[in-house]
Amino acid sequence: MSELDIRSNRKWPMPKQAVPGAPLLEVEDLSVRFAMRNGSVKAVDGVSFRLNDGEALGIAGESGCGKTTTALSLVRLLPANGRIRSGSVKLFGIDLVPKTEKQLARYRWREISMVFQGAMNALNPVQRVGDQIAEPIEVRLGASRAASQKRAAELLDLVGIPKQRAMAYPHQLSGGMRQRAMIAMALACDPAIVIGDEPTTALDVMVQAQILQLLEQLRRDLGLSLILITHDLSVIAETCDRVMVMYAGRVAEEGPARRVFTAPRHPYTRKLLLAFPNIHADRRTLDVIPGQPPDLRNPPPGCRFAPRCAEAMDVCREVVPPEVRFADGVRVACHLFPVSDAVAGEVPA
Amino acid sequence: MTEDAAVPPAPPESAPEQPEILRLEGLQVHFPIRGGLIDTLAGRAKGAVRAVDGIDLSIRRGEILALVGESGSGKTTTGRVVVKLTKQTGGRVIFDGQDVSGMWGGKALRPYRKRVQLIFQDPYETLNPKHTIGDFVEEPLLVGGRDLSREERQRRVLDALDAAGLRPAADYAARYPHELSGGQRQRVVIAGALVMDPDLVVADEPVSMLDVSIRTELLRLMLDLRKERGLTYLFITHDLAIAWVIADRIAVMYLGRIMEIGPAERVIRHPRNPYTQALVSVSPSPDPPDEEGAAKRTILVGETPDAAHVPPGCRFHPRCPLAFDRCRTEEPPLFDVGGGQQAACWLAKDGPLDLPIIDAVEAVGGVVHASGEI
Repeated sequence: MSELDIRSNRKWPMPKQAVPGAPLLEVEDLSVRFAMRNGSVKAVDGVSFRLNDGEALGIAGESGCGKTTTALSLVRLLPANGRIRSGSVKLFGIDLVPKTEKQLARYRWREISMVFQGAMNALNPVQRVGDQIAEPIEVRLGASRAASQKRAAELLDLVGIPKQRAMAYPHQLSGGMRQRAMIAMALACDPAIVIGDEPTTALDVMVQAQILQLLEQLRRDLGLSLILITHDLSVIAETCDRVMVMYAGRVAEEGPARRVFTAPRHPYTRKLLLAFPNIHADRRTLDVIPGQPPDLRNPPPGCRFAPRCAEAMDVCREVVPPEVRFADGVRVACHLFPVSDAVAGEVPA
Repeated sequence: MTEDAAVPPAPPESAPEQPEILRLEGLQVHFPIRGGLIDTLAGRAKGAVRAVDGIDLSIRRGEILALVGESGSGKTTTGRVVVKLTKQTGGRVIFDGQDVSGMWGGKALRPYRKRVQLIFQDPYETLNPKHTIGDFVEEPLLVGGRDLSREERQRRVLDALDAAGLRPAADYAARYPHELSGGQRQRVVIAGALVMDPDLVVADEPVSMLDVSIRTELLRLMLDLRKERGLTYLFITHDLAIAWVIADRIAVMYLGRIMEIGPAERVIRHPRNPYTQALVSVSPSPDPPDEEGAAKRTILVGETPDAAHVPPGCRFHPRCPLAFDRCRTEEPPLFDVGGGQQAACWLAKDGPLDLPIIDAVEAVGGVVHASGEI
């Protein structure tokens, strides 16, 4: 589906304040801090990216790199001690950052919904699965009980759960089925964007393959845009158009997945790919990244990866590397690529 | 590494002349399903969960054998039987030439537990938050090695911490778990296993909870420890790629049975059982798939049936894209397919011919639709 088709096929009208022709989602210079007893943690520090209609973006990185925080701040579901300090999150050109909680409710679930990692913990154990899917439809869209139940049944069918299982409680479903139910719930209000936070991490490989296939098919059929957050690079390689690799709260490298995975530029991306066990590669050639990610209460000046980087130069320890854009649509924040390599103009879609 | 260029059978590290250290013969673990009072009075049969349903396995000294399978395959139960945390209901466990199947009770098991150690998955739950690292590592010595002097125990604790890469060891010994990262915690758990100077280590998903870069560090550590201390590992994992990286031989389990076993190189590159083939085809890879690669993926429909209702015949047949009549009635034994590899599949019966399985899958359009239980 082309961008125009996706917007004209929307079930609900565009938000009133939408800027015509604006990209679906544009995040600029987003910074998030967590207030801690002994200082504030710069969990996300100057992150920018863009998501087009129907596109799938993967956000990769290790624990603590800020990938989940980035995603949660899009719909402001941050823990109580987390605050967006600066930057903008523009959905159809509407900046969501200055919105009040009440105003934001219009966008949660209806424009941006989420699928969380542990489906067992995210589902209510004492409510039937069908009712849980019907609930957001009733509450958010004000549909009647009967209509929302009917829609829930359709959604279950869409994600491959037999209709009669709508009466089941979460514990009666297998892990894969529960994750499908979570996806159905995320789709309940026909959102434009679905964010999956490690949606397949706790699942068996075969079930993971089934779920990824389902997401792929839904994206194609419904014109969904996906943001997949995962530490598992293979999940991104298989399902995403673009990938953003984060390290210690910043973007290390971002671009078309095929380019980034086959010709990684940032030393961190390269190391990460080499450290990934892969049955299609040689055995025991696994790479190790020495050291640990920095303490984000007090990050190192300059490039945050410099202390662990084999190619670090003096400048890396002092100056924050600027983002450099290449002609193939990849942008990299690393001093190995001076700004003179930069290509003027926008990232090709 | 050059050893990997070698063509199967086994890589040189697991030199075949090494004596066998562990053998499982027809191992069976059935958990009875308890019914209510009325069922019992009425004498109704309740059946059993056949978690492990007759497996034969042998590990040589210094070898790393990976037990791979999805949840419910019986891999963890097998590991628990080996470390004597679960009683088998049939079959034998032979350790270093001695039948230990009937060996039970804390006292009788003490010498065995010195030689066979377990590493759990979750380093956050294994460590007591109120004990120092030194306390944790020392504990097995207090239970199993009471004749040691305090100094000797201390020396062995520091030695184990050092071997697990926690240096300076004395510094780490005084710390508490919350002061350590996930990777360091798992090193502590490894040190706790090393302190008894075991022969065999059963590692149950030891790296599954860790980040990619830390994972490789620990896998390397485990390989180094094998080299330095001549350890033998039974490595339990759901991740074929991790098994591929660390193991000499891989055994693939499904619903309590071994479907295929052989040198890692052969099982991954030339799988002969359709289940292994499907697993290999969906095994994650960070190489973006091209059209052709995507078409070759065999995504099985449905999920592993529950072990209380094992299908008749070959237990994989309801989900197998290649099942034929015989599979539905007769369970295939492990057939030798050459190169030290065995596969439990009627199609592997006639020896080391390469089966046209990928073609058969492509014929149904890349995705296999079998009538699995949902």
